[in-house]
Amino acid sequence: MKKFQYKGLKVLLFIVALYCLLALFDPEKILIATTTDFKIFYSLIPIFILIIFISSLINYFVKPKHIVNHIGEDSGVKGIFYAIASGILSHGPLYMWYGILKEMRESGAKEKLLIIFLYARAVKLPLLVFMIDLFGLAFTIIMTLFTLLASVIQGHLYEFINKKTL
Amino acid sequence: MNEAFKKALLGFFSMSPLLLGTIGLVGLMQVYVTPEMIKTLFGYDSFSDTLIATFVGGISVGQGIISYVIAGELQEQGVSLFALAAFILSWVTLGFVQLPAEAAMLGMRFTIIRNLLALFGTIAVSYLTVLTLGLLK
Repeated sequence: MKKFQYKGLKVLLFIVALYCLLALFDPEKILIATTTDFKIFYSLIPIFILIIFISSLINYFVKPKHIVNHIGEDSGVKGIFYAIASGILSHGPLYMWYGILKEMRESGAKEKLLIIFLYARAVKLPLLVFMIDLFGLAFTIIMTLFTLLASVIQGHLYEFINKKTL
Repeated sequence: MNEAFKKALLGFFSMSPLLLGTIGLVGLMQVYVTPEMIKTLFGYDSFSDTLIATFVGGISVGQGIISYVIAGELQEQGVSLFALAAFILSWVTLGFVQLPAEAAMLGMRFTIIRNLLALFGTIAVSYLTVLTLGLLK
């Protein structure tokens, strides 16, 4: 097992320093921001549990060999399908997924598919109802299809850029 | 299974400073960038509004549903459909506030290329959606 190491301590220290600095000039707003932070934190607890649960399952059932087969170098169309489907079904804020994506990349997942996953997250099934209500069914269908197409194009473009520049 | 759970737990706790830092930034943004402020930024031609929408959506944070509520109000103000589409998309796909966390976990190069691709992708999808809708009517 890899040695335990905190990531982003400098980022956290910077944010704490920023809060302290702003509190000198605008204590009321910083108090509201801190309260908001706690509310966000509490609202994310189910997502934290979900992420730990999914990570445990991946660690237990999915071996690097499986990842390479399904979303690795030679995964082809099947890999794209998995990336899109998991992007649509994933919940919670973007930053909650970085840890899992990092582990999957280290286990052999193709970077192109991580790009597709991250953009396909724009399609959220529960939110489609709001989109239909606001903009209509035709708009929703067209935008959803273009969004998924854009996710695949971005994945290919990322691969192309990598080949040209690395 | 115990080993798998322990590994997942350690992995999660190792990124906890990044998560807390990002939550801190999100809290600051929610206090300093309010929906009322966002609404005052629009009202130019559709191209400018689309660029503004992409940028504002990219720096905004919060549940995706909030972007729909703001988009609904912007629609009533007469903001173009191009801009509304770009705003909703960039809210979810771009994460300017989350850039430090993304770069720390997935690498600076990956983060920059991904966000640039998502930025241009969002503008393209917005235009293609509205233009296609226009052709079908």
